[in-house]
Amino acid sequence: MTFSLSRRSFLASSTAALLAAGTLPSWAQQSQLRLIFWGGQARADRTYGVVDLFTKDHSDVSIEGEFLGWADYWPKVATQTAGGNQPDIIQMDYRYIGEYARRGSLAPLDEYVGAGLDTSSFDEDQLRNGTVDGKLIGISLGVAAGAAVYNTKVLADAGVEIDPMRWTYDDLLTQGPKVSESTGGAVAMAPDGSGIELLFENWLRQKGKALYADGQPAFAPEDVTEWFELWAELRAAKAIISPDEQAIDTGVLETAPLVRGKSAMNFTTSNQLVAYQTLIPDPLGIAIYPATSPDSTGGHYRNSSQYFALSSTSAAPEKAVEFINFFVNNPEAASLLGVERGVPASAAMRDAVAATLDERGQMVVQYIADLGEIAGDVPPTPPASAGEIEVALKTKSQEVSFGAQSPADAGPAFYNEVIQTLGRTN
Amino acid sequence: MTDAPMKLTVVGAETPLWRKRMMSVISHGLLIGASILMLYPLLWLLAASFRPENEIFTSASIIPSAWSLDAYFRGWNGLRTSFGVFFTNSFIISIASVIGNVMACSLAAYAFARLEFRGRKIWFALMLMTLMLPYQVTLIPQYVLFRQIGWVDTFLPLIVPKFLAADAFFIFLMVQFFRGIPRELDEAAMMDGAGPWRIYWKIILPLSTPVLATAAIFTFIWTWDDFFGPLIYLNRMSDYTVMLGLRTFTDSTGLSDYGGLFAMSVLSLVPIFVFFLMFQRLLIEGIATTGMKR
Amino acid sequence: MTVQNVATAPQAGVPKTSVWRRIWQQDGPGYLFLLPWFIGFFGLTLGPMISSLYLSFTHFDLLTAPRWAGVDNYVRMFTNDPKFAASMRVTMFFVIFSVPLKLAFALGVAMLLNRGMKGLPLYRALFYLPSLLGASVAIAILWRQIFAGDGLVNKFLSIFGIVGPSWISNPNYSLWTLIVLAIWQFGSPMIIFLAGLRQIPQDMYEAASLDGASKWRQFWKITLPLLTPVVFFNAIIQTIEAFKSFTPAFIISGGTGNPINSTLFYTLYLYQEAFGFFRMGYASALAWVLLALVAVFTAFSFLTSKYWVHYDD
Repeated sequence: MTFSLSRRSFLASSTAALLAAGTLPSWAQQSQLRLIFWGGQARADRTYGVVDLFTKDHSDVSIEGEFLGWADYWPKVATQTAGGNQPDIIQMDYRYIGEYARRGSLAPLDEYVGAGLDTSSFDEDQLRNGTVDGKLIGISLGVAAGAAVYNTKVLADAGVEIDPMRWTYDDLLTQGPKVSESTGGAVAMAPDGSGIELLFENWLRQKGKALYADGQPAFAPEDVTEWFELWAELRAAKAIISPDEQAIDTGVLETAPLVRGKSAMNFTTSNQLVAYQTLIPDPLGIAIYPATSPDSTGGHYRNSSQYFALSSTSAAPEKAVEFINFFVNNPEAASLLGVERGVPASAAMRDAVAATLDERGQMVVQYIADLGEIAGDVPPTPPASAGEIEVALKTKSQEVSFGAQSPADAGPAFYNEVIQTLGRTN
Repeated sequence: MTDAPMKLTVVGAETPLWRKRMMSVISHGLLIGASILMLYPLLWLLAASFRPENEIFTSASIIPSAWSLDAYFRGWNGLRTSFGVFFTNSFIISIASVIGNVMACSLAAYAFARLEFRGRKIWFALMLMTLMLPYQVTLIPQYVLFRQIGWVDTFLPLIVPKFLAADAFFIFLMVQFFRGIPRELDEAAMMDGAGPWRIYWKIILPLSTPVLATAAIFTFIWTWDDFFGPLIYLNRMSDYTVMLGLRTFTDSTGLSDYGGLFAMSVLSLVPIFVFFLMFQRLLIEGIATTGMKR
Repeated sequence: MTVQNVATAPQAGVPKTSVWRRIWQQDGPGYLFLLPWFIGFFGLTLGPMISSLYLSFTHFDLLTAPRWAGVDNYVRMFTNDPKFAASMRVTMFFVIFSVPLKLAFALGVAMLLNRGMKGLPLYRALFYLPSLLGASVAIAILWRQIFAGDGLVNKFLSIFGIVGPSWISNPNYSLWTLIVLAIWQFGSPMIIFLAGLRQIPQDMYEAASLDGASKWRQFWKITLPLLTPVVFFNAIIQTIEAFKSFTPAFIISGGTGNPINSTLFYTLYLYQEAFGFFRMGYASALAWVLLALVAVFTAFSFLTSKYWVHYDD
């Protein structure tokens, strides 16, 4: 029983492998595309829905989709790429798109624009987000921006009031302690954000600086020191959670202090609101990252939550582009996808989606719209090794918060680490 | 099994009965206490699979506020492919691996433990070396190799190495046990004209039930629990294993069905636990109980 | 090759063949029994190993062809890489504490379970349960439930008025929670010890107790000597596994090795370099340094084994 079963699946599997490897003649002119993305079940259902919709109209294309969790996704994509077995369409993240594009693993899409790929109703900044070294590589699947997601009930119970689009670090310092006091120290207003790169970048941009410019750090060691001192002050005032509690957060959703009921807030991105809400019984609200002053602008920018990119080794690039185009420009597809990946980057699709959204979904769309006046330009694609620096900031922030290093020492130390990492040839 | 307690009575003949009783109570007490420590996390896992979703991360108690089988139904069909398919795949791969490992590793172990040939020590050292290199760096060369043979997207990269004794752990394990079987047995058989194959088949294997059962149990469980191999080599969801299915439940960046994850985690433990129970009775057979005299 | 010789050997009588025949008789069976292993070793294992050795002398970013780098990677490791030093310290600490404790625990429980008491299969199964969980995602969640600031351990300590830290996320203790996890999963060495204990002939104990030897003396004079091959195996294997330990730290720290790199195991660092930061060449060099270290340890153990490991042969 098991044997016949296993033989059958061996045969089936090896035939499919032969087909995928292209060693059989392409009888019937059938294009087989492979699509890979990270995400949970909800995203998979929506994505496969669009795949079915597409293949119904395009009988000459079949699409084999595969999805994995974030942590497993990247080693698999790396292995497939190195092993010459890259899927045709690959979901990409802003931290990785530069790494893959600059090494020639992703095909530029410029030649398809207007010839199979319609970007006419796309937001300008979303196209720029997907551009690496002047070439269009990734098609944005959703607009997202840095956002503070907060538990409305905990804040209200503590008597804390913030203006979601204008609140400041001073508000956090003065009002934060109320949350700790009213809960007997069990809950703090915010997590310790000193190790979150997006938040640090936002703060730098409000000061008129940036993380990177031309592949070099666009900040000074003193900025890092000032940043760590700001958080040390918040920590001392008990406006944020303790280092012990913060260190439990490994970046996985269920370890976030907000989910564990340790803080009333989390610094994340706008597209995450819906995911957080499923794990928390109280209603959540959405606000900007704290401002340095109520009228400060330019910190936020409209990022892309993720992209679709085309493999440079795809055997049927036109078909793959056709699918990508369908995915971002077909109204029916858009209403299936909703805002699960972020708010659609095309204005036409935003209208198509708007009618179908629930309350949280509408909040996210509204937030992105409200950001209009305070958002600044999108930064260029980060240099290679930016991912490593993101990790280094987190580690450095822990050294400071656990008292292993003073902010005064940590500033220059981190700056040197950044210079060294960026200068490393490999 | 049956005669062991009898022997104990003989051994302990001079110790008074009450002392033996007390010893027994104490050791059972110790074992039960330790078992609870061992078990608490598993009970928590079991409870979590019956819990309402938004209570999972906020409660450390063993008893859920409400009981529900929802997560099991949700989880079973929670991914695009039913968990029934994943279970079947895991069974095929694990059973084939058990057969391959027990056969191929015992052959190699017999050669290393009992036969004299030139180069034996060098080959043995090389075999041990294969244990020492972290798999993370051979992953890509191996992937390229399997892709050239055309095995990517099949179960073959997960099964064939087991039939070729690629897991040095089990060879080394069996070598240690085979060396403990008295040499006089081989010599007597050789006097009767038995060759190496007959000695391997008629003497070594039958006397090695415990270590073979150990190898079978470990192979089954470790193959079942492995997710990196399946992650890399299997692309289509209809080929996924249970472990890969469980990993796919959680995406750190988005919506995850934790109830489904826990329910399926509990179910995924059932086959390996049953396999363990089935084979563990073989663990206690062997020289000690078959009454071998030296 | 050797198989052909066996076929031609009988009818040939020239001296040259008898040389082959002698070789066959001496070495043939050994190599025949090793045949599957040879096919696997040369066909599947050796090639990738040599590739990784070659890659350790290159800069290889996974996506473009490797560039020759000579000994650059090795030089960097020993002169200019604080994370290498940190991960080596973490791993050494882990090996030194987790291996002996796990082995002692496994041996102790195996001895307790080997006394032929009632309910033995049940206890054995219960004690093996934690090891069944392997590296399941659930482990990470369970461990937080136990060792977080409001976890079970601190609830227990609070009975005595002690306020404990968040063990799992405090850099002073986080490595210890992983050591406890390693010990908690003591099932496989326990099973191997049990199988070893079962191989000790019962009549030796009978003879000893007739001579009036105490239990304690029997343990030192019979059990331990006869168990040495298994002790040796478990010690070597557990040490190698501890050096290569990856998954527990990976799932519990979410792959970061934090807080402050206090759980940055050697192979976790290697994995970050390879797949996180696209430095497979450097990661390969890290791997071969680990192999050299473990090989020296293992060779040393084998050399000393003749003084304390008791084989029947």
